[in-house]
Amino acid sequence: MSQLYDTMQISSQGMRVQSTRVRVISENIANAGTLPKTADEMPYQKQHVEFKNVMDRELGHKIVKVDDIKTSKEAEFDLKYMPSHPAANEEGYVRAPKINTLVEMMDVREAQRSYEANIGMFDQSRNMAMRTIDLLR
Amino acid sequence: MTIENLALFKAVGAKMKYLNVRQQVLAQNIANADTAGYIPKDLSEVDFGSVLSKVSGKNKMRVETSDSGHMTAKEQMGNIKSGDQRATYEATPSGNAVNIEEQLVKSNQVQMDYTMMLNLMKKQVGMMKTAIGSSKA
Repeated sequence: MSQLYDTMQISSQGMRVQSTRVRVISENIANAGTLPKTADEMPYQKQHVEFKNVMDRELGHKIVKVDDIKTSKEAEFDLKYMPSHPAANEEGYVRAPKINTLVEMMDVREAQRSYEANIGMFDQSRNMAMRTIDLLR
Repeated sequence: MTIENLALFKAVGAKMKYLNVRQQVLAQNIANADTAGYIPKDLSEVDFGSVLSKVSGKNKMRVETSDSGHMTAKEQMGNIKSGDQRATYEATPSGNAVNIEEQLVKSNQVQMDYTMMLNLMKKQVGMMKTAIGSSKA
């Protein structure tokens, strides 16, 4: 039975991790139009979430955790022609964030799918525990 | 004599313990569905028929306990090992080989087996109650 409670903890940690991922993705989408202030400044950089399966000493088994939230190795940007913008260079181009909203939406869907799978697992474990408790009746 | 010492209950209990652990392993796989380099795990199969015959066999050997410090071997269940799953459908570029659908199918199987074990236990207790003659059986 205690294993089932551990299972529920593993699944809920899986959900927590996926919601962190959704948060980061929504940050990316929200900042898709964040332009720099000057011509040599870099615009907003896309962030990536990395997961890791680590041992939790208190629980006595491994749970998934957010390992790191990183930006890409090299700063990326798109050039947008906006000559009147204060951050435009001599040719009239502004460095815009290199974020593809479509790709981000895809990522959200994937996170959603993983989240639902974790809910399914949680539900099943809870059902198993409940039925075992029902034996008392 | 308690219920747990009956051969059938011992085997059913062992199977339920196994299913609990398996559910935990599957939950871990799903929680790590987006962890880079994670290979899904599963438990080695255990022949519970042999567990039943082992606990109900007539010429069962027991270690002699001649001192209060001696312990009898309690573990009737073959050792279950959790190892990397050998056959995987696909691996993502990040090295993750978890297939959520496959894991969910497995956990459904776990749930079905678990329900079966619970019902088996319930039926057995009901039969014993009938034999005892309690009117509530």
